[in-house]
Amino acid sequence: MPESLALLLSVAVFPGGVFALGLGLALKGVDRRLAARLQRRVGPPLMQPFFDLVKLTRKRTMIPDVACRAVFLGAPLAGVVAMLLAAALLPVPGLYEPSPALGDLLVLFYLLAVPAVVLMLAGSASGSPFGAIGFSREMMLMLAYEIPIVLVIVAVGLKTGIGRGEGMTLSLTEIVRYQRAHGAFLLDPAMWPALLAFLAFFPANLGIVPFDIAEAETEVLEGPLLEYSGPALGLFKMMSAAKAVVVLGLGICLFFPSGPDGLPGLAVHALKMLALMAVGVSVLRVSAGRMRIDQAFGFFLKWPLALAVAGVAAAVLA
Amino acid sequence: MNLISRISARSPWLYRINAGSCNGCDVELATTACIPRYDVERLGCKYCGSPRHADIVLITGPLTVRVKDKVLRLYGEIPDPKVTVAVGICPISGGVFRGSYAVCAPIDQYIPIDVNVPGCPPRPQAILEGVAMAIEIWKERL
Amino acid sequence: MGFLGVLIRNLVAGPSTDPFPFGETFTPATLRGRVEYHPADCVACRACEQVCVGGAIRFDKTPEGLRFLLWHDSCTFCGLCAFYCPTEGITLTDDWHLAHPQSRKFAMVEEGTIPTIRCAACGAQALATAPAAALFDHPPTPAEVEEMRSYCPRCRRKVAAERKAS
Repeated sequence: MPESLALLLSVAVFPGGVFALGLGLALKGVDRRLAARLQRRVGPPLMQPFFDLVKLTRKRTMIPDVACRAVFLGAPLAGVVAMLLAAALLPVPGLYEPSPALGDLLVLFYLLAVPAVVLMLAGSASGSPFGAIGFSREMMLMLAYEIPIVLVIVAVGLKTGIGRGEGMTLSLTEIVRYQRAHGAFLLDPAMWPALLAFLAFFPANLGIVPFDIAEAETEVLEGPLLEYSGPALGLFKMMSAAKAVVVLGLGICLFFPSGPDGLPGLAVHALKMLALMAVGVSVLRVSAGRMRIDQAFGFFLKWPLALAVAGVAAAVLA
Repeated sequence: MNLISRISARSPWLYRINAGSCNGCDVELATTACIPRYDVERLGCKYCGSPRHADIVLITGPLTVRVKDKVLRLYGEIPDPKVTVAVGICPISGGVFRGSYAVCAPIDQYIPIDVNVPGCPPRPQAILEGVAMAIEIWKERL
Repeated sequence: MGFLGVLIRNLVAGPSTDPFPFGETFTPATLRGRVEYHPADCVACRACEQVCVGGAIRFDKTPEGLRFLLWHDSCTFCGLCAFYCPTEGITLTDDWHLAHPQSRKFAMVEEGTIPTIRCAACGAQALATAPAAALFDHPPTPAEVEEMRSYCPRCRRKVAAERKAS
């Protein structure tokens, strides 16, 4: 198989593309069901996110008169493509290693910022005042959580690099290989501050309660998504599903990539995502209330930042 | 196409319009959504914050004169196909406010209504019944 | 961390959701639902029409008699009509299955007619309403009620006075 075809397949089918989308939607379904059970409800069918997506293709797309048409329709598309690409950049421990031609952790980090940027673009292009409020909130939140996550990535990169007797490494493949050879960082107390910082980061990146400030339904009517309907909204749903896979996958690759080789490795990988989703998303979602934007901003510049700095120090010294 | 319609019918998103209601019906709507006993999510329903995401519109209140233009504008913002449910007797007939100079009830003079759920307010099970009826109608429109 | 305990308890206890609309649900005994009208018990005092807050009750004089109409789409199910009815001619059931498609909007009606008759004694036109309890000095038998029903109000009083005197 020529290398270009393999690259294309990895972006379009596995582990990006179809696979990431399917896994993301399935994770969302489990999350909704589990959240319902935690509230003593029955909850929707597990396939509900798929139903929603199919339904959205049958609805009309409405574009506001004041909207910038190209950006309004282009933004969700860019978001989906970026997330599928990002999913192809993540190794699946024991089964798939991304080709160096696709990029390293830095590229992944930039791709991870795309959904937030896309939401801002969508919010401002829709011409809705609620979209503008969503825009500013998303921007503030992003500024707050980007710094800790950079430091977390630096901490893991340094730890791996020092372990291999060189400087910092930015290759996720190397990080995964190192951990599979020398034990996961999850079990290393020196990495716990960085792990905690990551655990605070990912609900904000996924935009769930208590950090769904930009898309708060009850406050700003889903903010940037307010004006979207039909297939365009479906693209946003696909983007957030794929983003869940990318962010959860990143966490697993950074801290806990242990597991068997081959297809069982994939199953273990998916199970780990499920566990992280259940604890980090569902339980958090049903037990917490939404923060105000200033509270969230202050929170991220206090605890996760302090933890991430401690994590870098621990990675260098320990 | 038929399969797609059948799948789509399992994901009706609800949107509430309060057309000058006393909030009694809105409380019952919140009850159907939030209280585990009446879990409306079983039907695939979800309350959404934006009219652009709505499939089934639940209207409460007798359409007061002040709110009339806003409700009509909001209704126009909801993309097709959509189904409208009038919850409570106020939107259906005007109820206790019928004949007042301050209301434009009944609401079906201005908005095509598909399902009526009478009651003052209707009990949550009756609302669920109305939503299930609306889903049947919506299935045919898809 | 008390919330974790609550969540775990919820998870273990399982859903507390009512099976409706997929299964049966409960109905409280005192639920006020669909209104029922019994023309045979009605004395045509029209108190229900007076007290109805929603303006749902209406009486019309028709060639056949006095027609009672109650539109459920305007009824608040407050129960005032049943409370003020002297003879339980109007009652509230516990049937709450009232959701209906728009095409049936004006069919959500409870209807009944008190027929017009010729008085059995004087031949005047009158309504065959239920006789008032004051017309009897003892609990009336069904046959006595039916007999009284066939008279006009004036003849009723006459007949009742004669019987009480004898």
